[in-house]
Amino acid sequence: MTQVLLALVLGFLFAVGTFLVLRRDVVRVVWGVTVISQAANLYLVTMGGVSGSAPIVGHGADPAGVTDPLVQALVLTAIVIGFGTTAFALVLTYRVYQEHGTIDTRDLARGGEGQ
Amino acid sequence: MTDLVAGPLLVALVAAITTLLARPRPRLQRGLSLLWGVGYLAVVALLFETVRTGGPLVYQLSGWPAPYGITFVADSLATLMLALAAVVSLAALAYSVLAIDEFGQSLSYHPLFHFMLVGVSGAFLTGDVFNLFVWFEVMLMSSYVLVAFYSGPDQTRAALQYLVLNLVGSGLMLLAIGGLYATTGTLNMADMARRLANAGQYGIDPAPVLGLSALLFVVFALKAGIVPFQFWVPETYRAAPAPVTAVLAGVVKKVGVYAIVRLYFTVFAAATLPASLALPGLSGRSFLAFYGPVLFLMSVASIVVGGVGAMNRGDVDGLLAYSSIGQIGFVVLPLAIAATASDPGVRALGITAALVYAVNHGLSKGTLFLASGAVRAETGTRSFDDLGGLATSAPVLSAAFFVSALSLVGIPPLTGFFGKLLVFDVAGQAGAWLALAVALAGAILTIGYVSRAWNRGFWGEPGAAVLGRTRRPRLVAVVVALALTLVAFGIGFDPLLSAAHAAAAAALDRTGYVDVVLGVIV
Repeated sequence: MTQVLLALVLGFLFAVGTFLVLRRDVVRVVWGVTVISQAANLYLVTMGGVSGSAPIVGHGADPAGVTDPLVQALVLTAIVIGFGTTAFALVLTYRVYQEHGTIDTRDLARGGEGQ
Repeated sequence: MTDLVAGPLLVALVAAITTLLARPRPRLQRGLSLLWGVGYLAVVALLFETVRTGGPLVYQLSGWPAPYGITFVADSLATLMLALAAVVSLAALAYSVLAIDEFGQSLSYHPLFHFMLVGVSGAFLTGDVFNLFVWFEVMLMSSYVLVAFYSGPDQTRAALQYLVLNLVGSGLMLLAIGGLYATTGTLNMADMARRLANAGQYGIDPAPVLGLSALLFVVFALKAGIVPFQFWVPETYRAAPAPVTAVLAGVVKKVGVYAIVRLYFTVFAAATLPASLALPGLSGRSFLAFYGPVLFLMSVASIVVGGVGAMNRGDVDGLLAYSSIGQIGFVVLPLAIAATASDPGVRALGITAALVYAVNHGLSKGTLFLASGAVRAETGTRSFDDLGGLATSAPVLSAAFFVSALSLVGIPPLTGFFGKLLVFDVAGQAGAWLALAVALAGAILTIGYVSRAWNRGFWGEPGAAVLGRTRRPRLVAVVVALALTLVAFGIGFDPLLSAAHAAAAAALDRTGYVDVVLGVIV
């Protein structure tokens, strides 16, 4: 049941992320990218199994029944990287606004044709 | 001795940190940056020589044994790529010290440059798929800031495009890695190769592995700028400062090529295609039989799009950027032949050709972007309309441009000649006449746009911009020094060829790679 639910949530998150990336507003594009990367993180966590017990030695459960802790370490790394890139993306968006006076991707592209 | 494997990474990391600390003293910072650039070249040379004479070296981080810990592997393939990175980045550093304005340099330029090298070195050395993702991010983070460095309208727009594309790429890479971990049960490349070779024994279904490896392939193709993932290349290369573009085109692009060779020829080639997914008309049942046609179509599209696009550019950097799309096609074409070839000799020759071509492209395109930067620094323009007559007015700089452009075309005795020769040779030996025709058409296109650049920028009557130029002899000296490496590797081609042979053998020697990483005594 949890797996089906997670699969649905993942599909929904990727759909939302893709929808946002295709918007004209740069801020929404950045949110879309963030949603996609968080969806990838969630996917990574589910790859470790969602029904096992805590992976602590001597915690009672048999070793075969624990959740894989490695993917959680991977996701922590990915979350930290995601924080950094999102912060930079937002600052860059602000710089784009300062330089061009717009964050509409269509106007930005038009500004490029004059070169 | 195995500690040496971490050497390039440590040197680049210490360089980034010390140049960050030395920010209040700009002269000291520039001196340190150059010194560490030389140090990086020295440690890479030592590692290269050690691996060449003593075989591959493996370094287990914190002493955790291979499939559990993170592994660094320095084999002939990794050290060849590191050597290319060291040469191009040292020239780019020397150029940066002379050309980037002092405020910009003291602000963040040098730490960012060295952090980019940290990412590049890590990506070449790591033997772990997730660790590869982390090094990609280290490399990309610095390159985002370096592309946006001048932060004018063009730079911010190009950097935004580059950033968003690569962030989507990173999300896809994470997905593919997560899926590969779930299906194969390991992240270590050697362990993955071993498990895929005995898929039945480990209970691995090859069909999802194929799909996930294809997803991963998209990410590498995006990094390498292969058509249809090339659209970020021209704007990004025009926006970044000249020495950064030299490193992006010369080295960072090659990280994508390296990842394709390492993962698809060493690791995924071990897996067997399920019968229902085999493409018609191809005999092989390895994953490579699936990727061969894909690589072929992408390389043909790259050669055509890059070559035709470079024909009608109005400025030097735009022409060079499109040219690097076309030239990456020449790197991928022999890889495609190698993937479909059933004869192991042809396969090894294909990878050798791709690597020699990649080294040639790294050096010559690095020189060309630096030369274009020097033209811009002297005349204040890079548009063909304002240039012309550089050959008479700036003969030394023009000669350096000419030599590296000829190497791109493939004129003996420059390195590029052997690159082209090997590509034609492998196409002929494999009997791939279509590939031969495409390579020939690509070579003609290269001659076309190179002569156009020469005609419009360097011949004719000098214009106002060229006559009123300010001389920058030290910048020109750096460009000439890098151009001379092309002549040197062309005349003394043997060491490069044997290094590329060894690298191709290392890429194809899966059992050797698995044994050395997983610690089996050989």
